[in-house]
Amino acid sequence: MEQPEVTATYQKLTKPDYTARSGRWRKHLWGYAFLVPAIVVFTLFLWMPIFKGIVNSFFHIDYVKGSSFVGLDNYKQVLNDPDTWKAVKNTLYYMFLCLIIGFWVPIAASIAISELRKFQGFVRISAYLPYVMPGVVLYGVWRWMYDPVGPLNAVLSKFGTESISFISDSAWSMISLVVMETWQQFGSAMLIYLAAVLSIPRDWYEAAEIDGAGVWNRIRYITLPSMKGLIILMLILQVIGTSQAYQSQMALLDGGPNKATLTYALHIVKYAFTSQDYGAASALGVLMFIVLGILGIIQFKLNKEEY
Amino acid sequence: MRKFSAVLLCMLLLGTMLSACSGGTAPKKEAEGSGANNNSNTGNTSGSEDITKKKITIKIHYPTPDLKVMRAQEDDKIKRFQAEYPNVEIIKDDWQYKIEEIGVKMASNEAPTIFNTFATEANFLVEKGWVADITDLYNNWKYKDQMNPVLQDQFVINGKVYGLAYNGYVVSTVLNKKLLDAKSVAVPPVDWTWDDMLNTAKNAANPAKGVAGIAPMGKGNEAGWNWTNFLFEAGGEIEKNEGGKVTATFNSEAGIKALDFYKKLKYEANAIPKDWALGWADAVNTFQQGRTAMVMAGAADVIEPALNQGGMKPEDVLTYPMPAAEKGGKHTGILGGNYYVINPNATKDEQEMAFRYITFDYFSEKGLQALEANIQERKTNGKYYVPQLMDYFKADSDFGKKTQAIYDKYDNIYKYNPEITALLDGKPEAQFGTQDYYAEMSNVIQETFSKKDMDSKAQLDTAAKNVQEKVFDKLKAQ
Repeated sequence: MEQPEVTATYQKLTKPDYTARSGRWRKHLWGYAFLVPAIVVFTLFLWMPIFKGIVNSFFHIDYVKGSSFVGLDNYKQVLNDPDTWKAVKNTLYYMFLCLIIGFWVPIAASIAISELRKFQGFVRISAYLPYVMPGVVLYGVWRWMYDPVGPLNAVLSKFGTESISFISDSAWSMISLVVMETWQQFGSAMLIYLAAVLSIPRDWYEAAEIDGAGVWNRIRYITLPSMKGLIILMLILQVIGTSQAYQSQMALLDGGPNKATLTYALHIVKYAFTSQDYGAASALGVLMFIVLGILGIIQFKLNKEEY
Repeated sequence: MRKFSAVLLCMLLLGTMLSACSGGTAPKKEAEGSGANNNSNTGNTSGSEDITKKKITIKIHYPTPDLKVMRAQEDDKIKRFQAEYPNVEIIKDDWQYKIEEIGVKMASNEAPTIFNTFATEANFLVEKGWVADITDLYNNWKYKDQMNPVLQDQFVINGKVYGLAYNGYVVSTVLNKKLLDAKSVAVPPVDWTWDDMLNTAKNAANPAKGVAGIAPMGKGNEAGWNWTNFLFEAGGEIEKNEGGKVTATFNSEAGIKALDFYKKLKYEANAIPKDWALGWADAVNTFQQGRTAMVMAGAADVIEPALNQGGMKPEDVLTYPMPAAEKGGKHTGILGGNYYVINPNATKDEQEMAFRYITFDYFSEKGLQALEANIQERKTNGKYYVPQLMDYFKADSDFGKKTQAIYDKYDNIYKYNPEITALLDGKPEAQFGTQDYYAEMSNVIQETFSKKDMDSKAQLDTAAKNVQEKVFDKLKAQ
């Protein structure tokens, strides 16, 4: 007698509830429909290039005669190329310079501007203006700034110092690029920091002032701790961003002098568009993808911990 | 719902993977064997049907929007061409050849049927299979024997023709006479030597004011290209091909001598710009701005902007051959030029029609009229016309004489010193791995300009070893 009851229960549990499922499908139909454009765009312009890049890294690419599978040859080629390691070293040096020269500037500027009682809007716009300057103008202006008879060397000569080849001296070339980029880009990051600084409740500062805290103590104990999360996020974004840098290195110096500004991304560009070796360039890209993927995971974990 | 989303995503990713895997092979060709490695073109006998009866579409090389006169001339040519071939649809494409873009253009099958390129690219494009073999079309063309062989031969590789010359040059030295006069530096003799160049550069330089005596290119592949002129003058070669085995030879005694001359310019004469990391455009701009007394490039490419943008006068801009290494030596310069090539992915019919389009105005009265209109337009606008040192036709041919007669009619034509034409010694570039060699030499030049005690032989040996291992050892030369 019990057997049919068990079967009925089993059937009830396993039988698909088509009505409920199709109801839910109908209920979310428009939601899926709205997802489709995003999925198509991501597929075409993000996932497909990534996947294709991985596939290409195992091929000798020839768009006319046809590509051929070469296994790990492209990886061996790029890992045995001394320029790859030079590019890695240069990229790390560039990232380091961006941190010590460029990272603190927008933080300091945002705090300084937040303390201004007058002309805050004017200073804010002035700081942001270089960011909207087109690259061609930027490189032209700084090429002149760094010229052997340009303004910077003119100042040095006033102090009796010998002129510096900011561009052609390999000891100075990367530093010169970082200074130029910091000047151009700090305004953008500064606005983000400034938004964070201005969102800190004013009464915290008032309470601190009543307790006798000076400007430095207010910054140290209120402003900076309040910005900590944002600073960490910006730090990771900067590390990821600077690790992919190549634009100014290519435009101003083409990786020279003596390969001193040959960054990893520029090395990829040169493999792809100078040597036309897309397979090896893809292999370099995949290696970079792995490293940046790890950094991305770290960023994701940190964000999760923060919130 | 999660299951559904997962299925949807998996399907999309699968589709992506399939489409990704299906790519990477050669674009589908409408006609088999139309690629660069095929020699099956048969002149005007591309099939049993008459080519003038078939519907054919070709994408042509078209001037950029700033070149209004040239655009009008091209539109006129299109009109005349379509009057003769009403079956042909012509699409204009103002893409200008760039080494960093050609790969992408070929990969996406977006390169025009006809595109422009330079002499430096011949071997590279043929190696890659990115230009069509037009040997049969060329051999069946009635004007082939009137083409300037010095230029045309640059695109003849292993007996096969891959492009049509338009104009060309031998790398020369262009001097700013005004700068020399300002420092009371004597104009050197036309049959000059490296020592004359060194002394002129030394005396003309004014480092305190940021004026250089000479601006050799020091950035990008053009740094290697510029230096190679000196290698040739010293009697050196880039490579040698023995039975299909290519060997780097630029680290020879001649190479060391040429590199040591660069050292002299930098350290003995203090004649090059302090900021020496100059690309082609930087060097030409430096000349135009009056910040160097000499620059080395295709003369017309330097003089045209100097006169028409820099406001210099023709009498202040002197064209010299490259200097000989020693008295009595050859004034060798790299042979360069502009060419039209045909996309190998086009069908045979398209290739043939493209060939007919390129050559439509060659050796024709219409071509001469177009040239004259260009000169007149410039005269009206107060601009100079600067002819290239060489054209696709022989200078002493009937067509060459007619062209010269047009030049003689106008006073806004830059005139080269006839003496230099006799001294010019054009030498083609290396046959294999040219760009890789230039890239490697670019680094050597930068080492030279940044380290006074740089060991020329050691640097050249390292560079030769790199080029040998990276490029030449992988080649299967003929």
